[in-house]
Amino acid sequence: MMRLYADSSKCSGCRACLVACSLNLFQENNPKKAALVIEAHFPAPGNYKVRVCTQCGACAEVCPTGAIKLNDRGAYYVDMAECNLCEACVPECPESVMFVRTELADTSWKCDLCGDCVNVCGTGVLWIAETEAAVA
Amino acid sequence: MSAIIRPFGLLREYLHGEKEAMVEAGQTIRQALASLGIPPEVVALVLVNDQPQEKDYRLQDGDVVKILAVIGGG
Amino acid sequence: MNGYGGQILRVNLSNGQITKEPTSPEMAREFVGGRGFGLYFLLKEVPPKVDPLGPQNKLIISSGPFSGLMIPGAGKCDWTTKAPLTGGYASASMGGHFTAEMKYAGLDSIILEGISPKPVYLLIDDNKIELRDASHLWGKGSMVVEKTLKDQYGEEFQVAAIGPAGENCVSFAHINHDYGRQAGRGGVGAVMGSKKVKAIVVRGTKSIPVADLEAYRKAGMELFKACKEAEMLKEWSSYGTTIVVSWCDEVGALPTRNFSAGSFEDGKNLYGPVMRQKIVITDKGCFGCPSPCGKYSRVQRYNTYVEGPEYETIGMIGSNLGLSSIEDVAHANYLCDEWGIDTISAGGVIAWAMECYEKGIFTKADTDGLELKFGNADAVFKLIEKIAKKEGIGALLADGVKRAAQKVGKGSEKWAIHVKGMEQSAYATHNATAMLLAYMTCDVGAHHNRAWAITYDLQVGRERVAPEKVARVIWLQHFRPMFDVLGGCRLQWVELGIDRNLYLPALEAITGIHRTWEDLELVGERLWNLARLYWMREIDGFDRSWDLPAPRFYEEPPTSGATKGQITRFEDVQKLLDLYYEQRGWSSQGHPTPQTIERLGLQSFVN
Repeated sequence: MMRLYADSSKCSGCRACLVACSLNLFQENNPKKAALVIEAHFPAPGNYKVRVCTQCGACAEVCPTGAIKLNDRGAYYVDMAECNLCEACVPECPESVMFVRTELADTSWKCDLCGDCVNVCGTGVLWIAETEAAVA
Repeated sequence: MSAIIRPFGLLREYLHGEKEAMVEAGQTIRQALASLGIPPEVVALVLVNDQPQEKDYRLQDGDVVKILAVIGGG
Repeated sequence: MNGYGGQILRVNLSNGQITKEPTSPEMAREFVGGRGFGLYFLLKEVPPKVDPLGPQNKLIISSGPFSGLMIPGAGKCDWTTKAPLTGGYASASMGGHFTAEMKYAGLDSIILEGISPKPVYLLIDDNKIELRDASHLWGKGSMVVEKTLKDQYGEEFQVAAIGPAGENCVSFAHINHDYGRQAGRGGVGAVMGSKKVKAIVVRGTKSIPVADLEAYRKAGMELFKACKEAEMLKEWSSYGTTIVVSWCDEVGALPTRNFSAGSFEDGKNLYGPVMRQKIVITDKGCFGCPSPCGKYSRVQRYNTYVEGPEYETIGMIGSNLGLSSIEDVAHANYLCDEWGIDTISAGGVIAWAMECYEKGIFTKADTDGLELKFGNADAVFKLIEKIAKKEGIGALLADGVKRAAQKVGKGSEKWAIHVKGMEQSAYATHNATAMLLAYMTCDVGAHHNRAWAITYDLQVGRERVAPEKVARVIWLQHFRPMFDVLGGCRLQWVELGIDRNLYLPALEAITGIHRTWEDLELVGERLWNLARLYWMREIDGFDRSWDLPAPRFYEEPPTSGATKGQITRFEDVQKLLDLYYEQRGWSSQGHPTPQTIERLGLQSFVN
């Protein structure tokens, strides 16, 4: 199984990944609707922390409507037509990258491993590889 | 005993489109640039085996030297 | 409107009225965005000859069609106003994330008008827009304020704030954002301070519409691909603009001791690799940037965190003040950011004061006891604070180098290094005629970002004065500022050398309007001429004497360094101007002729 990885030490906080992500998930320019998170810690200690989906599947396990499914990339994605906005998935996510924000969208969303964030990142923060479990 | 000079950007013009040039080791980068017809002062950045170096660095056998000019300033 | 937020926000601080109006499609077509919008509003709405710090001046903050989109470097924000520093046109470009955020809030421009009766900050949370009391923030440093407001509102909000210098209307006060990105030049921070606006806090959660989504995604990805495949991406990202410090030192372009030379004997201590190794902790990029030039540093000696110093600050606060420790330069940079002054002008005016001291024009009685010698870092730290507070000698320096020298006299005008009242940025131009002309004719004063031509000077002969050199400067003055119009950054073209034609399909897919670079350069030419007309409108007797450089570059050859013994002859300075005016279609006094105004379709801006 593949997943997205992030090396936060290389992140310069540009947020290009967030726009690319929203364009994939929603066909919109709106980084508030992205499925990964950049935390900026300034002025001290002066670094960025990137949080990404590990494809652990905890969200899918608790989804009462079965809206979180596997796609042909082997990643869990939200079938937006089947999401009922119950938010059961949100607290289950260990990385806090499972989103429900009803003021922004009438569906939950998460990373579907499209890879567009990797394509726009100029500093090599992000990459897609086998999950550690699969490697082991 | 030779080194490779690899220009980028507008510096390529000085090699008439060639991507790199072979020069003798033992001379300084400044001398090597002049011998290739590249005005040393136009070169803003010199990397020898990917490490920044000064133009007075003396070339060693097998060195790969990347050189860059600045087209736009700050 | 495709590619735009769609609305202009107008905030009247005098009566607290907040209104929105749709962005005019005609304005968007003709002026595109960013600097274009700023200059349009400045000319149309600000009456002639107003006090820059009075209620009739406006502060116009604009994004462009690239801002906030999936385009490399789409994080540039324009701040236009009548400049307190020069009395003419100011357009300061600020990186970071502010411009993207205001566009997600649906705003192409924010226009601040009038003067608030008490300190306020402007809160924009999508459609909720309010002026809030800022009395608890007044007097605080710009980054302290940013942190306070971010802690209060959350990470999604972007903050632009002034420091005490802005409150005190220091004529080169800046606006600080994202802990180290500034709208730096011309005194835009003083205008914000005069209006009693301490900060602007913005969050937007709207989506930006584009004309052709798939074509835009494809074109945007092509641009990112070109950047990522650029051969020197890693080097530029490692050093940012500090990559050029060593080279400027070598070729005599590194300003040293108030531009008396172009090479610094201790320059090696300030070179990019030294700085990277000693103080840099994180690479920091503006919105959408694949090649982050921001170097975030920690200076252990002072326990200071600062973004930078970048090239300009190393030149102006470092070598130009004779400071030879990168830690000292970084700390001075931090002080400038927190107190709220532009490092370039600060370096210029402090260098002038140091020269006055070394020449005996100032004694300790004039400098509040400071030993104002080149190289005295402690005196620099103290002066930055004094300038921000307008305290003692700081009050004199806070007016900028031109007015300070006029006040002090005694020949000190000769070493006030400025054009049109703006301190020259960090390229020494004793013998680089294209770059000298670029400074002489820049539309805001002696600033480098419109045209930069030092490599070109070296390639074609640095002392040469020829029509093609002048043509090159004019082309750069039309082309490079278009990035500030589009809301993007020029460094991907400048540094990474990506093909500029890659931007065109992206711009068309975003706005739905087909444009070539020729079309865009014509916009650039129109803006250049409009800025000129603005200077003529604001300053009685504005003529070619306003385009002359500091006498140092034609009278005083450096006695050391790479340009030892070299200057530009005064007759060549004049010849540069003659050629420039002729090629631009301007009169011998530097005024656009009626034919030129007509050719560019600018009649409605005259009279």
